[in-house]
Amino acid sequence: MTNPIEITRILFEDFQPQTIHLFYAFGYAAIAAFIYGTYTQIRKYRRGKADGSWGELLCRFWDMVKTMGTHRTLVRRDKKAGRAHALIFFGFVLLFIGTSTITLEYDILAPLFGVKFWYGNFYLWFSLVLDIAGFGLILGLLYMMYRRKWMKLPKLSYARLDRQPGDPDFDRPQYRREDWAFLWSFILIGITGFVLEATRLVWLSGRPSVWDYRMWSPIGAALAHTMQAVGLTPEGAAALRPNLWWFHGLLSLTFIAFIPHTKIKHIFTAAASLMFKDPLAGRRLPRVPDDQKSAGYKTITDLTWKNLLHLDACTKCGRCQEACPANAVGAPLSPRDVILSLREFANNTLNKKELPKEAELDIHGKDVGQVFMETLWSCRTCLACVEICPVAVEHVPIIVQMRRNLVEQGEMEPLLEKTLQTIHKSGNSFGESKRKRAAWAKDLSFEIKDARTDPVDILWFVGDYASFDPRNQKVTRAFAKLMNAAGVDFGLLFEGEMNAGNDVRRVGEEGLYEFLATSNIQSLSDCDFNSIVTTDPHSYNTIRNEYPDFGGSYEIQHYSTVVKKLLEEGKLKLKKKLDYRVTFHDPCHLGRFNKGYDAPRDILKMLGCELVEMGRNRDNSFCCGAGGGRIWIPDPVGTVKPSQNRMKEAGVIEGLQVFVVSCPKDLTMFEDALKTSGYEGQFVVRELIELIDECMDYPEEVVEKEVVAESE
Amino acid sequence: MKILVAVKQVAALDEDFEIRADEKDVDEDFLLYDLNEWDDFSLEEAMRIKEESPDTEIEVVVVSVGPDRVDESLRKCLAKGADRAIRVWDDAVEGSDAVAIGKMLAAVVKKEAPDMVFAGVQSSDHSHASTGIAMAAYLGLPHAAVVADLKYSPGSNKATIRRELEGGILQEVEIACPAVLTIQLGINKPRYASLRGIKQAAAKPIEAWGLGDIGMSASEVGEASAMSRVRRMYVPEKGRAQMIEGTIAQQAARIIEIIKEFKGA
Ligand code: SF4
Ligand code: SF4
Repeated sequence: MTNPIEITRILFEDFQPQTIHLFYAFGYAAIAAFIYGTYTQIRKYRRGKADGSWGELLCRFWDMVKTMGTHRTLVRRDKKAGRAHALIFFGFVLLFIGTSTITLEYDILAPLFGVKFWYGNFYLWFSLVLDIAGFGLILGLLYMMYRRKWMKLPKLSYARLDRQPGDPDFDRPQYRREDWAFLWSFILIGITGFVLEATRLVWLSGRPSVWDYRMWSPIGAALAHTMQAVGLTPEGAAALRPNLWWFHGLLSLTFIAFIPHTKIKHIFTAAASLMFKDPLAGRRLPRVPDDQKSAGYKTITDLTWKNLLHLDACTKCGRCQEACPANAVGAPLSPRDVILSLREFANNTLNKKELPKEAELDIHGKDVGQVFMETLWSCRTCLACVEICPVAVEHVPIIVQMRRNLVEQGEMEPLLEKTLQTIHKSGNSFGESKRKRAAWAKDLSFEIKDARTDPVDILWFVGDYASFDPRNQKVTRAFAKLMNAAGVDFGLLFEGEMNAGNDVRRVGEEGLYEFLATSNIQSLSDCDFNSIVTTDPHSYNTIRNEYPDFGGSYEIQHYSTVVKKLLEEGKLKLKKKLDYRVTFHDPCHLGRFNKGYDAPRDILKMLGCELVEMGRNRDNSFCCGAGGGRIWIPDPVGTVKPSQNRMKEAGVIEGLQVFVVSCPKDLTMFEDALKTSGYEGQFVVRELIELIDECMDYPEEVVEKEVVAESE
Repeated sequence: MKILVAVKQVAALDEDFEIRADEKDVDEDFLLYDLNEWDDFSLEEAMRIKEESPDTEIEVVVVSVGPDRVDESLRKCLAKGADRAIRVWDDAVEGSDAVAIGKMLAAVVKKEAPDMVFAGVQSSDHSHASTGIAMAAYLGLPHAAVVADLKYSPGSNKATIRRELEGGILQEVEIACPAVLTIQLGINKPRYASLRGIKQAAAKPIEAWGLGDIGMSASEVGEASAMSRVRRMYVPEKGRAQMIEGTIAQQAARIIEIIKEFKGA
């Protein structure tokens, strides 16, 4: 039996002291480059504004560790890439820890305290684990190479929709080169590591403390046998080893030196980005402090340090772009490229020792690194990008902050400008008189309570579309009948209600939003009620997530939750069942924004419908195109609309009868798209409320005069 | 260098409005107030001149005659970049006609001594199109109406303008300055006043002037001094229009039928 102390890794055996010193010199240089790079990066982030995301650091850290440990965000919607990344990630982490323990013993514990642990059984297990880790790493990298080279994934193309071929930043070949340099250097480090290990085994094949334990490094051993088989002698191996050793060592050190300067830094930035993730990102937009002169982001230094960190976290994986409805219909927007443009801009300006002049920091414009206003206005603030980003980049708050600046400069579509003025003047986007807000209720056979004068259990916040749009008024009346039939004690704000402001805020008109929000909160605070219900997911989102910032905290539910409960409790009874084959479209503001995926589906089940999901459902639902104020901005003629794209997706469902929505804007958008994309007659678009209405068993038949003016 | 812009807060009608019981005006409850559309353009024209000459110090002063509620519109002007705002009011002014308002504005102009005076061609609610010109008449200054284009370098003693005439014809005129110009829609693209801007403009003071400040007395203004008065305001009965379709012969036959109907055959 060999003395365990002899079973250990051969480090510098046979090396001249000069050689060892030289290696250490390189090592220190690499560390210096790493530290300097890290310093410049941190200096860059510190040039951003303050952000409220400090606090609960331990909690955040633990969440980050869980996310990274499970690779949850990486395997989503791309299992293979996620698993390959897991192999690389865990391989790297283990190899890194392994190498660190060598340094720990060799350079710190042994010389200072005479402590050694790195021999015997510990060493053997260590070899085994690291061998497996290295093998996994190489496999993962090979898959990534295959994926880049042969899979031709559109999301990995760097060609941009917002730039023309010939523009200096059209397809950014430097990114491609960097990707490949990264993959090659990484895989070479892994491969040379194994070759080196094998060479060492062949070289010391006569030493039992090494050779007898070779199977603890199985890959190295297999390689060593192969080398012997092709005729490598211990002498040959001894001669080969120093060259290989230097190659492997220098490559590894260079890799370390380059971490903060290249995409490799995502090791740190992505982790930090995940750690500072805001669960309400985009759902609750940041307030503009009252004393701040201008709203929004005009210069790169207007971004917070967290925004700047997000820019660096992006790994260019393209998942956000793949999910983006604007991008899907060819609008000049890729959420990834907004992030990358700003990243380049930040690197060009904020990495310098001195901060450039204010004028050179403007992020709006047509130059390299600047973001076009067309790009910003293309966004539907649907959060598909934020949802899928594996490293928690928060695109939407940045986009909206930039829009706030555009709004302040008046850089927007004239029609949008008109709408904003209309909303300011009349309190609704239809330019209708306040008095007509509850006109839809006139012909109901029962009176709806005025929550401003009578206490009610549930206050119904109706929202603009449900109040004024003639098609949606039918749904609104149907919902009123449902509530009435179920004996719910409910009331309205009547003229006291204004546009909730969700979309106004997402347009970037923060002042108008504040006006609307505070007015509504004022109206609500004068009423006596227990909770709020709404059929409008947009109003739902802002009241639920954003009003609290303005002093209005309410319990609010989307109607689907309320109706589901009424059905379960038997307060609403279904007269009949429907046997429709349906599909369900998750409204962004109900689903992705507020995780209300299940209630509408449960109701459909109760109604007896057969639900067939579209490919993109739940958190991957595809925006109808109306979000972020785009309902007020006409899509350019001749372009496909996101809603038409969605209709196509539904159209392939065999025997589909009803395309079910649960949002007033969806009803408008999709009924229109149904006609324009040629599916009329094949299936119909219905609001979930209408299906429930079909099955209703009203205690006494509520007769409703059809008041939707035929002329409209 | 100073440019004075006279503006008005106009009323827009709510749908389903009602006429006041005395039949002289619309019931105030049904009015929505906003800055006159033309004034957006004249203010923008002043702002354009100011911003195109960053080296010259140019003060843009907006003036309006009206009660408290007008402050909101003046604040919008301040948000768009006007440097000062003056609101002239006295309860006696209620019921004044356009000429009296012009006279009051002229008094303000005399006191402020601007190098250029703008007003909108007309107001969208009363459409007199005479306030600006009345002001010019009281001032005895050169004036031009319906200006659709302006070339003017600050401080210069003349300006070149294009006036919009009938049938899309433009008339190019050179005018001595100071002058009073009434500005037409479309001369520029008015900027958007964001609500934050309007809110921040609340910090800028609005000067409230009374009749005494402009050296006028109550007898010169108000309903009594007006040269015209409203007798009745009403909604005319809607005419009927009908599209006649079919062949020429069918159309002719239908027309004859209608004529007969009217003659009461
Ligand atoms: S929010 Fe939606 S539309 Fe906007 S960039 Fe993200 S995915 Fe695209
Ligand atoms: S922002 Fe996120 S999802 Fe988009 S490319 Fe970067 S890492 Fe991928």
